[in-house]
Amino acid sequence: MQTDQILMTFFAGVILLGALGFYLGRSKAARTRAGGTHMHSQPDQYAWFAVLSSAGPAIIAAALAAIVLGVLETAFPGWLAVASALGLGAIGLFLGLNRIRPELRARDSLERTVKWVLLGAASVSVLTTFGILFSILFEAIRFFQMESFWYFITGTEWSPGDSFLAAAGREGGGDGAMFGALPLFAGTFMITAIAMLVAVPIGVSAAIYMAEYAPPVLRDVAKPVLEVLAGIPTVVYGFFAAITVAPLIVAVAESVGLEASFSNALAPGIVMGIMIIPFISSLSDDVISSVPTAMRQGSLALGTTRNETIRYVVLPAALPGIISATLLGVSRALGETMIVVMAAGMRPNLTANPLEDMTTVTVSIVSALTGDNEFGSAATLSAFALGLVLFVVTLALNFVSVMMIRRFRAKYAVNNL
Amino acid sequence: MKRFAISSIGLAAVMAATMGTAYADNHTREQLRIVGSSTVFPFSSYVAEELGTTTEWPTPVVESTGSGGGMKLFCEGNGMDTPDITNASRRMKVSEFKRCQENGVTDITEAMVGYDGIAFAQSTTNDPIALTREQIAMALLEKVPQDGELVENPYTKWSEIDSSLPNREIRVYGPPTTSGTRDAFEELVLEAVTEDMDIYGGEGYTNIRKDGAYIDAGENDNLIVQKLENDTEAFGIFGYSFLEENADKISGASIDGVKPKPEAIGSGEYPVSRSLWFYIKNSHAEEVPAMADYVKLFMSDKMISDLGYLKGIGLIPMPEELLNEWQEKVADRVELKLSDLK
Amino acid sequence: MSQSLDDISRQLKKRHRKSARMKWLSFGALLLAGVFLVLFLADMLIKGLPAFQQAYIQVEVNYSERASELPLAAVEADVRELVSRGYLRLIPNRMEANPDLLGTQRMEWVLADDEVDQYLQGADSSLSAKHKAVVDRLTEAGRAELQFNTGFFTNGDSKLPEMAGLASAAVGSVMLLIVTLAFAFPVGVMTAVYLEEFAPDNRFTRFIDVNINNLAAIPSILFGLLGLAIFINFFGAPRSSALAGGLTLGLMTLPIIIITARAALSSVPDSIRHAAFGVGATRWQTVRDHVLPLSMPGILTGSIIGMAQALGETAPLIIIGMIAFIPDAPTSFTQAATVLPAQIYTWASMPESAYVERTAAGIIVLLSVLITLNATAVYLRKKFEHRW
Repeated sequence: MQTDQILMTFFAGVILLGALGFYLGRSKAARTRAGGTHMHSQPDQYAWFAVLSSAGPAIIAAALAAIVLGVLETAFPGWLAVASALGLGAIGLFLGLNRIRPELRARDSLERTVKWVLLGAASVSVLTTFGILFSILFEAIRFFQMESFWYFITGTEWSPGDSFLAAAGREGGGDGAMFGALPLFAGTFMITAIAMLVAVPIGVSAAIYMAEYAPPVLRDVAKPVLEVLAGIPTVVYGFFAAITVAPLIVAVAESVGLEASFSNALAPGIVMGIMIIPFISSLSDDVISSVPTAMRQGSLALGTTRNETIRYVVLPAALPGIISATLLGVSRALGETMIVVMAAGMRPNLTANPLEDMTTVTVSIVSALTGDNEFGSAATLSAFALGLVLFVVTLALNFVSVMMIRRFRAKYAVNNL
Repeated sequence: MKRFAISSIGLAAVMAATMGTAYADNHTREQLRIVGSSTVFPFSSYVAEELGTTTEWPTPVVESTGSGGGMKLFCEGNGMDTPDITNASRRMKVSEFKRCQENGVTDITEAMVGYDGIAFAQSTTNDPIALTREQIAMALLEKVPQDGELVENPYTKWSEIDSSLPNREIRVYGPPTTSGTRDAFEELVLEAVTEDMDIYGGEGYTNIRKDGAYIDAGENDNLIVQKLENDTEAFGIFGYSFLEENADKISGASIDGVKPKPEAIGSGEYPVSRSLWFYIKNSHAEEVPAMADYVKLFMSDKMISDLGYLKGIGLIPMPEELLNEWQEKVADRVELKLSDLK
Repeated sequence: MSQSLDDISRQLKKRHRKSARMKWLSFGALLLAGVFLVLFLADMLIKGLPAFQQAYIQVEVNYSERASELPLAAVEADVRELVSRGYLRLIPNRMEANPDLLGTQRMEWVLADDEVDQYLQGADSSLSAKHKAVVDRLTEAGRAELQFNTGFFTNGDSKLPEMAGLASAAVGSVMLLIVTLAFAFPVGVMTAVYLEEFAPDNRFTRFIDVNINNLAAIPSILFGLLGLAIFINFFGAPRSSALAGGLTLGLMTLPIIIITARAALSSVPDSIRHAAFGVGATRWQTVRDHVLPLSMPGILTGSIIGMAQALGETAPLIIIGMIAFIPDAPTSFTQAATVLPAQIYTWASMPESAYVERTAAGIIVLLSVLITLNATAVYLRKKFEHRW
């Protein structure tokens, strides 16, 4: 029997068991109640009780079997798993129906089960985080067994190319592969810094305008417009940066006598900045709006101008929130992939000149995983090491950001953030 | 009651849709799956498209994973979830062949489809230029011999390498380390030159200088041409197909006295060319019947001969005798042996 | 030391001027963001609109015996290079399907090669001077013209720019979104219900809470690594399938759905819950019959926004093999599929200049869909939003 047939059989069986449980449970409960006995719960609740006691064990057993099969390819045949799961379900159905009596608290056990199922759903997100961590961690460890961790963090030369030759069984030329990721970090940092230089002033100013000055009509227009900026797919921004902005920058640089690479760091940086504006403005707007009005009134009552109120009262109060928004923006810029894959360079380059081409962590991850390298080679595994760094850094940034916003929330007793 | 009926039907539908079909095509498959080199990708997908539009078969799926990535997926086993064919811009490596054997992929047929030349190109606004491989290597290597010693590459202008060359700054846009074109360039130019020079210890030396004279230009071909159009002093390293497509904008330098022309590449006169391959997993022949037709179409005169379509998009055809030889070999599904690769 | 009133009023004026300046400065920032958007959209429209028109030429097609072997022979030598190969290669098939064609000759409007299209659109074209002259002659005779490019919406991907279309990517996107929604919606809403309505305030709950926030901040490319490891390598979902891609993006959109659903649930006032408890409903009954239906508009809005994000995502799909040449629309969730943003990405890296305008046109289509989705979300929010 084929896997899909096995699965179909299983689902058909489970649904059949469930339906059977529902009808039998309900009719038994209804009969008992019609007989004049007072029952603890409603017939429907007994029906669901029967459904859970039959389908529940079957689904749990099948899920366990699927995981075991995932780990050990041929531990036992699939049809055996389905048969035993359905058998378990049938036993459950029988026992469950037997237990339907007036004094059975079906409603309570239903409630408990619902709670557990919901808890299960809630743990999916936790499992996802750990899943990401582990799917990166193991390969990263393999990488660090081959290459030095310290050189990876502090080395200034990234040239995985030679390890390709070595992996291919050919004499690697010269001194072999070098995995010093500092140039990649520098490139990532440079592009992120450019993005933040664009996004923070514009984003925060726009937020100030919207929260403090804008007439409601303008606000109603401006918010969705900014949201459109946030909703544009990154691949689209990447195309824009590569085809329109980069040549523009080269032309401008040339006209003032500077030399710019076509994959300069400036183009993806600026475009990424535009992309991040709405993240910063929207969160900052919320934060500024939730600074208590009493503070503004107090300040204005002292005779300050609006500007002074904003500068000396509102902004300092909102600062933790604004910093938090900025940090979120930074973490987004660090992990952004498509814009840099399409517009930034491929050369690991340790420079302070944004007109040169630089490469980033995410670009290196993509090129390592889609390149001509052999899979087990350090060149490919370096993608996971870089992914690990990215994971840790964005997580840390997010953590700090959450702390900041929590502090703001606690200080001003704001609940809607 | 009604709600229960509806929800159970809905549940069944969703589950059947998402899970039930998950393993549906696990054992027979109509659609051919091809992975491998980004250089062969355009040719392979052209053939795939032709197969899809002119026959009953669905269009094969072609994924560009790089030669190495393709070999990895190809050699993973004989299951239906592994690719049927992998393209390569180099011959299968011995290590890859062994890996295939270990995983039970033993019946492989090798097919050569033609050549790809590597062009050293500049903007058409320049005068035509003739370079030697040695000059190119001296311009791009990290360490070069000078007064009997290896030193950091001191050259900034072509004229410093050889006074007959123009007084232009050395600036070369080329593929990143992950690309097959770069690999071929290193092997065919840098390694070929340095191997014969005692100072490198008789071994190939392929480290490319990192001071900015060589610029990793990424895989975006549109941008490389744009760069050369604007930066007329610079050179670019491309696959030959690319040169042909943009003949109005860029022109290739002649290398060791030979211009990058299809005839010269096909005959092996042009020194910087490489052969293109694909590998067939014969154990899938029965389960994936489209494979036979695809291979036949790819190897047909209509595609890869001198009059074939693929020439139009940059493939350099093999000389006729060699072509016939390969066509025969592939038609007979000759099994690849370790001794072929050594 | 006391200041004169003049001084004070001068100072005051200065302060007010400063205040006004600040206002306009901040307005300028907002305006700048708007200008960026307008420039960007204008750029895409200018680049992309030509792709909605496609050149056709009228040529004499000769269905000879020879043409059934060598399709090129069906048209005159001087226009051979001008006719799309996508048209020519189907001639033998057509002759086989319709044997009456053999031996006939007729004038037909046929799809032109992409370089002819570029030339007629006034863009750079690598046509030789000779061929340009032929096209000019055809245009004068009314035998070459631009028509609406229906193929762009009905064809799949192609190696021939003039044949390339969005259809298979669009179908792929829809299938992917179905999987994403089928996974992320129930799990997301259930998580939100648990956290808002059931969870005790203990360490584990707070951990889940923090974790969801973190998940929202994890770079999308890392979800690709997860999808590769879990769905493809562990559970054996087929590479490049809508199933693997949809589940991966499902995990990615989960936090958005959870966060918006929680906001919607918490905006339902407690009086509703108290009333339900008051008549003896259990927690689950309260949630199922009252709280959830009342917060559904908000939850749906959040889900639509999440779907819009999933529709535009590319980076994780590179890792799980959805960036490939897949011209046929998938017919099942396990078949290889590509999606709109992936199609845009592949076209963006094609060398032929005709693909640039197709990329931009694809972007116009994708953006239209996204804006429609988001507008629907805004509309739903406005229409069904309860003000408690």
